[in-house]
Amino acid sequence: MSVIGKRFVEQVKTTGWKSTIAQRLDDGFTRFTAGLSWNDVRGVLRGDPAPKPNPRVKPHTEAFWFHIRPTFYHEAVTTLYPTFRLGLLSAVFFTIEIITGIFLMIFYTPSPERAYTNMIDILTNVPFGSFMRDLHRLGAEAMVIVVTLHMARTFATGSYKKPRQFTWFTGVVLLIVTLFLSFSGYLLPWDQLSFWAVTIGTSMADAAPVFGPTVNLLLRGAPDIGAGGLLRFYLMHVVLFPLIGIIFVAVHYYKVVRWGISLPPEMEPIGEDNARKVPPDKRVNFLPDIATNEIMYAGVAFAILAISAATWYNAPLETHANPLATPNHTVAPWYFYWLQGLLKIPHIIPILPGPIAGALDQFFANVLGLTPKVFWGVIVGPLVFVLLFAVPYIDPNPSRRYGDRKIMLSLGGVFAALILYLSLAGIPTGVPVTGFGYVGGTPPSEIAQEFMPDEGEGELMTIPFDQMIVGEHAVKPDANVPNAPKLNQVLAEVYHSMEKRKTTADPLGQILNEEATASVKITQIQPDLKQISIIINYLDTTGAAQQYVKYKFIHKDSGRAH
Amino acid sequence: MIIKKIVTYRPSFTVRILAGLISFMVIIAACMVTGVADLTQALTTRDTAYRSRLIEEGARVYMDQCARCHGVEGKGIEGQGPSLSSSNFFNNRVKEVGWNSTLETYIAAVTKSGIPLKSSPMWEVTHPPFLDRFGGPLREDQIDNVVRFIMNWRQAPIDTADVVEAPKPGEAFAPMPTPVPLTAAQEEGKNLFLSNGCNACHAIRGVANGAIGPSLNKLYEDALKWISSEEYKASQGKATTPEEYIRESIVNPQAFIVPECPQGACPAGVMPANYADTIPAADLDKLIDYLSTLGRPTQ
Ligand code: HEC
Ligand code: HEC
Ligand code: HEM
Repeated sequence: MSVIGKRFVEQVKTTGWKSTIAQRLDDGFTRFTAGLSWNDVRGVLRGDPAPKPNPRVKPHTEAFWFHIRPTFYHEAVTTLYPTFRLGLLSAVFFTIEIITGIFLMIFYTPSPERAYTNMIDILTNVPFGSFMRDLHRLGAEAMVIVVTLHMARTFATGSYKKPRQFTWFTGVVLLIVTLFLSFSGYLLPWDQLSFWAVTIGTSMADAAPVFGPTVNLLLRGAPDIGAGGLLRFYLMHVVLFPLIGIIFVAVHYYKVVRWGISLPPEMEPIGEDNARKVPPDKRVNFLPDIATNEIMYAGVAFAILAISAATWYNAPLETHANPLATPNHTVAPWYFYWLQGLLKIPHIIPILPGPIAGALDQFFANVLGLTPKVFWGVIVGPLVFVLLFAVPYIDPNPSRRYGDRKIMLSLGGVFAALILYLSLAGIPTGVPVTGFGYVGGTPPSEIAQEFMPDEGEGELMTIPFDQMIVGEHAVKPDANVPNAPKLNQVLAEVYHSMEKRKTTADPLGQILNEEATASVKITQIQPDLKQISIIINYLDTTGAAQQYVKYKFIHKDSGRAH
Repeated sequence: MIIKKIVTYRPSFTVRILAGLISFMVIIAACMVTGVADLTQALTTRDTAYRSRLIEEGARVYMDQCARCHGVEGKGIEGQGPSLSSSNFFNNRVKEVGWNSTLETYIAAVTKSGIPLKSSPMWEVTHPPFLDRFGGPLREDQIDNVVRFIMNWRQAPIDTADVVEAPKPGEAFAPMPTPVPLTAAQEEGKNLFLSNGCNACHAIRGVANGAIGPSLNKLYEDALKWISSEEYKASQGKATTPEEYIRESIVNPQAFIVPECPQGACPAGVMPANYADTIPAADLDKLIDYLSTLGRPTQ
């Protein structure tokens, strides 16, 4: 008999079966928790005060997961302020993304022939498929917001200052990783939305001087996005960026253990970091208090996400990517609107008074050797991140107190406001007040786009199938097609949209001529398929009569009507 | 004050355990609700919706690429392409041609690769390949969608009298009538037809493939039919002989609008109205001489 077996038999002989097995199980349990016996864990879960000596600190030295968590926090950082739990929530969303992402990976092939079909399969043939996709998509957008807010709060509390400069540095890397993760994932469904958003994104890289075309070629694997580009984006999305992300989250977390979470600025002697000098009576132990606290916040965040994914949120899937047809109003993902806004800045240069505009043009062309677009999009855009990296080093002020940091805080505010303004300008319809950044086609094409967009849904497409009465219906405020209330309502809406464009010019100064008329024509193609066209008769800028026609096919069961 | 309260909030142990448990239950509930929904109805509903949308996409491809030869309603166009919506097509065609698979794959295969050799002299064109890898304009998924669209006719096949059925393979064909040799003047007329760009809109067997205006294969016969029709009498047309009708159609196309063109109702004002000015009178005579040979019964 082996030595171990012998010992076991001896133990049974001396203490009996029951106690031997209980003790062996507890041993195994303790090894699993890296130092906590079953009774210790029970105490933790019941909220018992820690015994002395405290066994609950053992996992922090013994176990990997606990060793990147501190043994205790200062009481002052366990309230909502100063952290707002945003760092924790960033990590929570990152984890959710990894788990849901692995689920989606199982059903996905990164090839232009299969990707879109796979997406439809995930939505229509895989139980929980649509739920997982919604979680993954909404979680990604939430993560961008949460990470950005986390950065804003560490900036506001001055937590990037000595000795946490490197924490901030790894943070900026994580922000970039988060953005690139979102962006690379955007392409994968291979629908019109994703294909064109990413085409626009990578063509910005293309415009960069010297290395731009090479970077673009490396990203896309060919001059245009195709099989090579999709595979590369897929690999970046599931291997490269998650790997960088995991490594940097680990370093980031380690730095938080090393320096502690910075105390609220007013509790800190100026220029002296005291986060790790916590008097014993101010300590809040990680086990159980911080741990249960974090589990609660993680749980609540996940619950909100799960409810949203199960109810109101539906990740969009438009028609199959078509490299030959750019849909109207293609946009980058919203977190890159500010970059699009930057790209539009050149358009205001011609509006500036002649001499200034001329001088600026000269400056860009001769001194910098760049077109304004390249300057703003490719030089200034990435410079934003360089600026973020530099924050701890350009701010020499040792004090973290709000009162002492008026300049830095105002600069931060101005920066945030600028990004917000540029983001608004990045939307195709431009800043609501000034119209800056407006891009659009002729008025008729915009009306058609409003009611029958190239991608996504418009009012004309959501008319119930049996209310799509075959025939040509004039657009008028009191349309009265029998048995078709929704059709009549949409006809009136188109009428009002036209009237608006006849009386007010759009931000480009285009206006629809007074006599322009429109109609909606519906034809039966197959028993359960109709064609719906919007036909607008108008005069173009030269005064010539023109007809604008746009049409869609609508199937009875396409699930659009509501 | 309330802000201060929120900001300094530290949930008690009980709150943490309770909130955690409730969140946990909410997550389980969300999973169960989606799970039950998916396994009962939701997957099927989404499946129907997405399949319908693929048919919509297919319709667009069909109208852009196929309708000019197979007709908007899939009834086929004489000389251009056979019916893709008749009962015969859905019920017998696969057996007829000896295709050892389904009709779906037959449509897909023909559309992708085309038909390298004409299966019958009744076709004026060979079927072009449509798949991008074979030099065509369509991606594989677009062809899958157009197959879905064509199969969607199966629920209500179109069997009207004007359907152009594909001939059965190996069926003995009535020999094509030997064309009456053209006179030198008529040959010149044929060249004028091409040099004036009429071929961009009109089809004439062996000469032109245009599909915007009506096919002129049986122009003489058609002209005879039109001038005695009620529609013509109600129009501004004044012709009494086929030759006059053809002249009128060229110099004053608005006088009478032919009702049917390959892509549906004939558009008015599309055929240029200034040929009387651009084509010299002598040439016009030759052109009309040539056009009157089309479909004129041989004596
Ligand atoms: C240039 C004219 C033309 C176009 C455009 C065209 N076809 Fe055809 N199609 C034909 C002709 C001619 C035939 C018969 C060829 C033969 O049998 O040799 C045919 C035959 C077919 C057949 C076989 C029918 C049968 O009964 O055997 C299918 C299926 C078909 N076409 C599908 C399509 C689809 C789908 C498209 C559009 C993507 C299309 N075609 C576009 C001319 C055309
Ligand atoms: C831009 C397209 C276009 C061009 C080019 C064109 N046509 Fe037409 N043609 C039409 C259309 C559309 C119709 C039917 C509408 C109508 O009757 O006006 C038509 C009708 C006709 C008809 C009457 C056919 C019938 O079945 O009754 C004749 C004959 C004709 N065209 C001859 C010609 C000749 C000859 C030329 C060249 C000199 C020509 N067309 C150039 C579009 C065109
Ligand atoms: C995936 C992204 C990120 C994760 C998972 C993450 C996680 C965390 C966590 C858990 C903390 C502990 C304190 C807290 O919860 O606030 C923290 C602190 C910190 N983070 Fe992040 N973070 C991320 C991104 C960023 C970014 C983008 C920045 C700034 C550019 C940043 C800068 C900092 C700094 C300076 C601290 C120290 C704060 C202090 O000591 O008060 N982090 N991070």
